[in-house]
Amino acid sequence: MTQPQALAAAFPPGAKVTRQTVFLTPEQLSAARQESGLEFDDRMIVRYSAGTAAGVIGYAYFDTHRVRTLPETVMVVVTAEGKIVKIDILSFDEPPDYFPKPRWIDQFRGRKLDDDLSLKRAIRPISGASLSGRAILNASRKVLAIHKVIGAR
Amino acid sequence: MRLVASVLLALTASFPLFAQDANDLERRLRELEQKISQMQAAQPSNDLTEIRRQIEILGQEIESLKTRQTEKPAAADEVQFGLGAAASKVYRSAPGVSFGGYGEFLYQNLEERTDNADALRAILYTGYKFSDRVILNSEIEYEHANTERNGEVEVEFAYLDYLIDPKVNVRTGLMLMPLGITNEQHEPTAFLAARRTQVESRIIPTTWSELGAGVFGDIGRVSYRAYVTTGLSSAGFSATGVRNGRQMGSQAKADDLAFVGRLDWQPIEGTILGGSAYSGNSGQDAAFGGRVTIAEIHADAKYRAFSLRALASRGTIDDAAAVNDANHLTGSGSVGESFGGWYLEGGYDVASMFPRGELSVTPFVRYEDYDTQRKVPTGFLRNPANDQNILTIGVAVKPIPQTVIKVDWQDVDNAAGTGLNQWNIGVGYIF
Repeated sequence: MTQPQALAAAFPPGAKVTRQTVFLTPEQLSAARQESGLEFDDRMIVRYSAGTAAGVIGYAYFDTHRVRTLPETVMVVVTAEGKIVKIDILSFDEPPDYFPKPRWIDQFRGRKLDDDLSLKRAIRPISGASLSGRAILNASRKVLAIHKVIGAR
Repeated sequence: MRLVASVLLALTASFPLFAQDANDLERRLRELEQKISQMQAAQPSNDLTEIRRQIEILGQEIESLKTRQTEKPAAADEVQFGLGAAASKVYRSAPGVSFGGYGEFLYQNLEERTDNADALRAILYTGYKFSDRVILNSEIEYEHANTERNGEVEVEFAYLDYLIDPKVNVRTGLMLMPLGITNEQHEPTAFLAARRTQVESRIIPTTWSELGAGVFGDIGRVSYRAYVTTGLSSAGFSATGVRNGRQMGSQAKADDLAFVGRLDWQPIEGTILGGSAYSGNSGQDAAFGGRVTIAEIHADAKYRAFSLRALASRGTIDDAAAVNDANHLTGSGSVGESFGGWYLEGGYDVASMFPRGELSVTPFVRYEDYDTQRKVPTGFLRNPANDQNILTIGVAVKPIPQTVIKVDWQDVDNAAGTGLNQWNIGVGYIF
């Protein structure tokens, strides 16, 4: 799936999708790391806001990261208030046996950035593919933390 | 203005290096953005507006590289295995090689025996994606470090998957037998104790692979595998089980084939309930059939900090007396006409009190009971030493998910009263 295809599937027809580029200040990056509990160096954040006449309905972020030895790219869609709407995998280079099933990813729907968003808490692990599950979990925490730091615009 | 233009020129000239230094380019773009904002505030200018537009374009290019949108996507109408409707159009990279592996080191402090330390195994996984529908998976295993000192090198598995549909796909080659829990999930991070269970090692017997072909797939929350493979060879059977009857794809005798099937049901994420069965003759051109049948049921559940695992297995060997005769086995050296065992394991990750971070500290208890000679042919004897139960108490620590350090103590009892206890330290990794 390309980014345009993913964005079209993420938001209802007729929503106006606007690309936003935000450059994190060192303080924002530090805050995002603290909020997520992860170490990352992304300083240029690109997100896509979707709006209707009623206002902004959500934001889509894309994140590329390593699963086991190979990368995957995911799209995380969040509400303005910082809850996950959906997660889609755009590319996945590991063997298919490690691919997270859609019903496993559904566990993230409605989740916000808190201690329950953890494989030790509310997110059940994937049997036989623990690293795949951790990769999705880390991506969701990172996106929610960045979203919290830069806010809805 | 000249400074800004020269920076832009430098950025554009360094385009081929984007893939290697995206972070540095992001930093430079950010600095440039800040300077332009300052200049725009001080003195609005059409030139600055144009430069801001060019920065936006460069930012898009960096984003495309980071999210790999520059690579060729899959065909728009191609349905991918295991995906839901919204994600069915999966973007794939070009065919290529994937690497992985795992390894274990084991120290055993043995009661009344010589303690030992062993580079137990080092495995290299290699996969190759010929296309989105044809994939090779293989593992090479190196055991005990040195082939001149009781070490071994073997192909643990090497098979081709032909992906047709989520419900049915074809697999062929040297395949892991889909029996039990550990046989297919045997990385050191996948089980809590330093040593695998004796039930799965002796009764299943893991790790076990055979040449063959079959089908596999997912139907809703149920997954299945069904193969036809080369059978065991009874020439390797003994009082301690069928383990040495595994042919492992090494010039395997194929007069007798076998069928193996497995069903797993995942009622909720993190929980699997299932069972499997194997049946096939083992005589391999002998005068007897020697049908071996092994069946098991299992449960594996993880919920928050809790983990629970249970398995029960039973097996039979037909024509056991004929197998004894062919293998020159007498008295209590007889193969088991019937053999079986079960185990139960529970653990709790105490590091879950700290949900952030990757550290996992799981104390656990495991109890297993097995007998490789539950029943022997008339005229032969059972060796009570083969009727064992083992209590394992320990802790598994994962500083990061890909590595594990295990320390446990094993109380080993048998019906002969000759069980010897031991404690173990295991270190494992997976990548």
